[in-house]
Amino acid sequence: MSTETTISIAELRRKQPRFSAIESGHRACLGCGQALAVRLVTEATGPDIMIANATGCLEIFTTPWPESAWRVPWMHSLFENTGAIASGMEAALKAQGRSTKVLAFGGDGGTFDIGFQALSGMLERDHNVLYVCYDNEAYMNTGVQRSGSTPHAAMTNTSPPGRERMGKRHLKKDVINIVASHHIPYAATASVAYPSDLRKKVRRALAIEGPTFLQIHAPCPLGWGHDGAISISVARMAVESGMFPIIELERGELTGVMPIRKPIPVADYLRAQQRFRHLFADDSRAREELEHLQALADHNIEVYGLQADADDLRDTSGADTVRRGGMRWA
Amino acid sequence: MTILTRGAFAWPATTLNYHTGTWRVQRPVHLHGTAPCHGACPSGEDAQAWLAKLEEGSAQAAWQTLVEANPLPAVTGRICHHPCESACNRGQYDSAIAIHHAERWLGDEALQQQWAYPVAAVAADAPRFAVVGAGPAGLSASYHLLRQGYNVTLYDELPVAGGTLRTSLPQYRLPRAVLDAEIERILALGITFQGHHRLGREMSIEELRRDYAGLFIAPGRQVGRAWSVDGVTPRDLHHGLELLQEWIALGTVTAPASVAIIGGGNTAVDLSRIMKRAGVQQVHLITHQALPESGQEVVDVMSAIPREVYQAQEEGVEIHPNRGIRRLILRGERVVGIEMVRMKKLDRGQGRLERVAFSGTETVLHVDQVIPAIGQSLDPAGMERLGATEEGLEVSFWGESGHDGIFAGGDARRDSSGTASAAIGDGRRAALALVRRLQGQMQPEREVRAATVGIEQLNLSYFEPATRPQQAILPVSERGGEAEIEQGLSEEQVQAEARRCFSCGNCFACDNCWTLCPDSAVLKRHEQASGGAHYQFDLDYCKGCGLCANECPCGYIQMEEEM
Repeated sequence: MSTETTISIAELRRKQPRFSAIESGHRACLGCGQALAVRLVTEATGPDIMIANATGCLEIFTTPWPESAWRVPWMHSLFENTGAIASGMEAALKAQGRSTKVLAFGGDGGTFDIGFQALSGMLERDHNVLYVCYDNEAYMNTGVQRSGSTPHAAMTNTSPPGRERMGKRHLKKDVINIVASHHIPYAATASVAYPSDLRKKVRRALAIEGPTFLQIHAPCPLGWGHDGAISISVARMAVESGMFPIIELERGELTGVMPIRKPIPVADYLRAQQRFRHLFADDSRAREELEHLQALADHNIEVYGLQADADDLRDTSGADTVRRGGMRWA
Repeated sequence: MTILTRGAFAWPATTLNYHTGTWRVQRPVHLHGTAPCHGACPSGEDAQAWLAKLEEGSAQAAWQTLVEANPLPAVTGRICHHPCESACNRGQYDSAIAIHHAERWLGDEALQQQWAYPVAAVAADAPRFAVVGAGPAGLSASYHLLRQGYNVTLYDELPVAGGTLRTSLPQYRLPRAVLDAEIERILALGITFQGHHRLGREMSIEELRRDYAGLFIAPGRQVGRAWSVDGVTPRDLHHGLELLQEWIALGTVTAPASVAIIGGGNTAVDLSRIMKRAGVQQVHLITHQALPESGQEVVDVMSAIPREVYQAQEEGVEIHPNRGIRRLILRGERVVGIEMVRMKKLDRGQGRLERVAFSGTETVLHVDQVIPAIGQSLDPAGMERLGATEEGLEVSFWGESGHDGIFAGGDARRDSSGTASAAIGDGRRAALALVRRLQGQMQPEREVRAATVGIEQLNLSYFEPATRPQQAILPVSERGGEAEIEQGLSEEQVQAEARRCFSCGNCFACDNCWTLCPDSAVLKRHEQASGGAHYQFDLDYCKGCGLCANECPCGYIQMEEEM
């Protein structure tokens, strides 16, 4: 090892055997799921990309003036027009005869709610763009307000539990099916807990000419109320409980799922997070909502056929298996 | 034209100017913990370390790591009760790694390939130590003294080395060819062997102490423990070990129609199986203790290796567990039977255990011979000066006898567990301590080892269940001669076992920390990392979230408070 210590850590950083479109020094919180997801996505894309980035945490924490964490062409758009900006970038590159792939990045607020119209238009016009939604289930950057993605019964600053309600009254919007209903070639969900699966889906989407969509479940330690150290564990439990199904849809049809080898109780997933703590109070409404969330997870498992019949190397227990020497399947 | 690096890397105006490391209140550190297999090994082997080398594809490097602690892997791979496997964290997940099979395979492979022991030639004028007793403890001590650069003269009463391994272990458990080959290779490293030498006969402790730089005594236990039932002993009393040694040396032993063997240890079980081979119709084994894995508390289970007990039962030995002997039934002076009674160890409060006989449960067994195999005691002749008694020698952790320069170990120590692997460990520790003494260094209280890594420190999400392979066992109908019963595992099976290892407390380069750090603050020193030294935390940017520590499958990363 003696010869290796002569190389400086900065030099070592230059020589990392992988590409990442965002560099260290970004201001994401400790254990940020989104920062990790962005790196995993761009590891799979490589450097020949351009990014349109909606307003949100990612935009804020990567570009504190006068610095930028980005190492690829990147453009900040408004909350509502990421799809439109990405469409324009793609059209311009096409006019120039260039093959650089355009990616659009948005949070769940910019995707499910505010930017939905522009996204829908982008999909309808058949632009060759990969739209990645980093789903942390609320408006985190502005201080944890509910979004269309916030799960039922979760506590946010605009859906506080109290006399009237036990957290968010409404259900999480089924955006993946809404997007897939645009008859696009590929729409899929992924989770930061399963990096190989995530990267595989990015590569798959990139290989497709036309609009593609990826919804990545990315825990927010601050907004969800858990320690940054357990971000991955929490994300894994979301998948293993059936609360966040990992699926692939092509032209609106279900073409693939990550089976759950051994579904865990939804309560295990919820208990790890402060945003669900009111559901563990001694209260009949809390018990009802716990049952409600379990029923929603069971429903997901049923409609997507998530229950594994036999052990599978690509199921929730096998997909993240590690091996000596770092060999992963994608 | 500017040529970009592979990562399209650009310095100016990146966030790299801002060191998020200043936010940190705790930092990740690599911490090599002790794997449970290592902590449990009486010989001091770090099985995790050599399994890792085996998994990397270097069997020779694995064997070399193994023999840094234990020079007799082909032997212990066969006869050890492998507490490493009982301690293995994987046992709580699916099934323990077959460590003893891997050890045996490596030992055999080394014999076949003639791999050289990692021992340099010793200078002729280097100080010389004396080792008394060429059993596992003595061989181990000699080997470890040699490894440290000292000369050794090894004495034994018998003309050949091996001690208990040679005299008391049946061939079907330990083939003589394997034992001979391994011992021969160790002696050939430069140990001077002197047979026909016994303490108190050809030599004395005083002479040895005077002529050598230090002394290690490991004579073993050779005398059957005194046995009687209420003061009555059969006329033709033979001790178990005596008959066992007779069979191993001569291949024959007197065979009555039925025998009762008393005891629950390996000698009793070996003897019972030998009696079957010698043609005894009915072999009864009577023990106070319970059958292994019969649900009783561990303290009161037969001390013999469980698989040996099962094999004995397969071969037709009838075991009477939880039984004591009330009375010998004699006709004249000849034994014609025994009266047994059910017994159990009961807790009498304050942790005081007492064996209680239950009246009304007496049964009579008709047998022609009763053989006690209840353990051996030390023959203290020649060692009186050291305070040796039949119960053994009192020694410290390092084997210090309390007399300057005289160390002891193996079965002769008072608190001996009576296993070859413990004896090998005794020899290794004493060799280290003897050299430290010679160099005028202090003896530490214990061996310094990191805390043992429990299963709760591992992240099991990253492992997949996999079955432990089963070895071929010689069918009962083909047993009887000296043919080895356990066939061991193949190279492929042993390598698959190495891949199952959880690598407790040690990095196995899975890339998890590198893959999952949200701040890209884990850097890789090699395109293909192979161990913890190949990952580096970049503390300029690490925010101290603890995610890497939580997701490390091996418990190799821990969070430490910032000063």
